Amino acid sequence: MFIRSSDQLPSVTALKRFPVPRNFNVSTESRIERGKTWHAPAGATRVKKFEIYRYDPDSGQNPRIDTYEVDLDTCGPMVLDALITIKNEIDSTLTFRRSCREGVCGSCSMNIDGTNWLACTRFISDTAEPATIYPLNHLRVIKDLVPDLTQLFAQYSLIEPWLQTTTPEPEKERLQSPEDRGKVDGFYECILCFCCTSGCPSHWWNGDRFLGPAVLLQSYRWLVDSRDEAAGDRLDDLEDPFRLYRCHTILNCTRTCPKQLNPGKAIAAIKKMIVQRRS
Amino acid sequence: MAHDKRPLSPDIQIYRPQLTSVLSISHRVTGIALSVGALLLVSWLLAAAAGPQAYSSVQGFMRSWLGLLLMFGWTFSLFFHLCNGIRHLVWDAGYGFELGTIYASGWTVVAASTALTVAAWFSSFVVMG
Repeated sequence: MFIRSSDQLPSVTALKRFPVPRNFNVSTESRIERGKTWHAPAGATRVKKFEIYRYDPDSGQNPRIDTYEVDLDTCGPMVLDALITIKNEIDSTLTFRRSCREGVCGSCSMNIDGTNWLACTRFISDTAEPATIYPLNHLRVIKDLVPDLTQLFAQYSLIEPWLQTTTPEPEKERLQSPEDRGKVDGFYECILCFCCTSGCPSHWWNGDRFLGPAVLLQSYRWLVDSRDEAAGDRLDDLEDPFRLYRCHTILNCTRTCPKQLNPGKAIAAIKKMIVQRRS
Repeated sequence: MAHDKRPLSPDIQIYRPQLTSVLSISHRVTGIALSVGALLLVSWLLAAAAGPQAYSSVQGFMRSWLGLLLMFGWTFSLFFHLCNGIRHLVWDAGYGFELGTIYASGWTVVAASTALTVAAWFSSFVVMG
C-alpha cells in the first residue's frame, strides 16, 4: 500500500494486470501461445513453478509461455539462480543476459511478476506462485528474455553522455567541491538496465521520439555536473514536445528502479531548468 | 527486414498496475468523463431555457437511476481530477518526488476525492432535501 522504497514489495496485489484483452494492441507475430511444462525431477521436495516467455527466432513460431518446475533444494536463492539452474539442468535453450550476479551490471533486467527488476537481486521467495518472467516491455525480442536494446542505446548516445568543456584544459584534473560532487549523487549510480524506460507507458507509445526515464536521468547527471560546460546546448536538445515533454509524470520509473534512483525527480528538475533559464 | 518479424514483448497486457500508473490513467479517464459530462450539463441548461416541457423531460432522466449514476460518476470525476490536478501542479513546481511522498499524496487524492464526493451527495440529499 504505502511504498517508501522501490525494493519494497506490495503487501497486497489488488489487480494483477490492467483489464485489457490479452491480445490488446498486439500484432500477429507477437501473440503469445501456450508452451509446454517441464516437470520437476522425481523426488524433488521443494518445487517452485516459473512461467517464462520463450521465443525462438529460428523456429518461425510465435512466442510461448513455458512452465518450469524447479527443485529449490538444488537452486540458489535468487531468480537469476533459478534461470541458471533451468539452463544448466532442465532446458539448455533458455536464453537470457547476465553478468555480475550482484546488481551492478544491469544485464539481467526483466519483467518479474509484472514489474521490472534485476533477476539477480530478486529473491525467489519474494515471487508469486507461479513466478512469471517476461523480457523487458515493449521491445523487439531477439530470443527468449533478450530484448533488442538498440533504440534505447541510440537514445542514450543522443544526449552525448560525456563531459563537455569549452574552457582551456587545466594543468591537472578539473576540480569539483564535495558539495558539487554531491549534486550527482542519486543520478550517477544508474546502471542503464532500462527497467524504468521499458516500464514507462509514455515510452511504450512514443518511444520513437520520447527519450524515456533512463536516458533523461543520465542527461540530468551531466546537466548538474559542475565541470560540464555544455548545459545550454544540452537543454536546447531536450526542449522538444517529444524528447522531454512526453513525460506525463506517471512515475512507474521511480517505482521500479532496482537501484532506488529517482528518474521522475530528474525529469522534473530538467523541466525546471528549462523554465528557469527563460527568466 | 527480419527485424520487423520479431515479436514485440508485451507491455500493458502484463505490466502490473501500480498506484502511480492507475492514478495517471484515471486522471485522463476522469478528464474525458468531465468533458462528456459538461455536454450533459449544457443540455440541462438548454432544456431549462427551452421551456418547462423540455426541462421536465431532462429532469426526469436526471432523476432516473441512470441519470443519478452518471451524475455520481461526474462528481467523483470532478473531485478526483481536481485533487490529482493539484498533485500534478505540486510536481510541476518540482516537489513531492520522493517515492514515499508519491504514494502518500496518491492515497490522499483517493481518500479526499471519495470523501468530497460523499460529502457533496450527502449535502445535496440530506441537507438540501
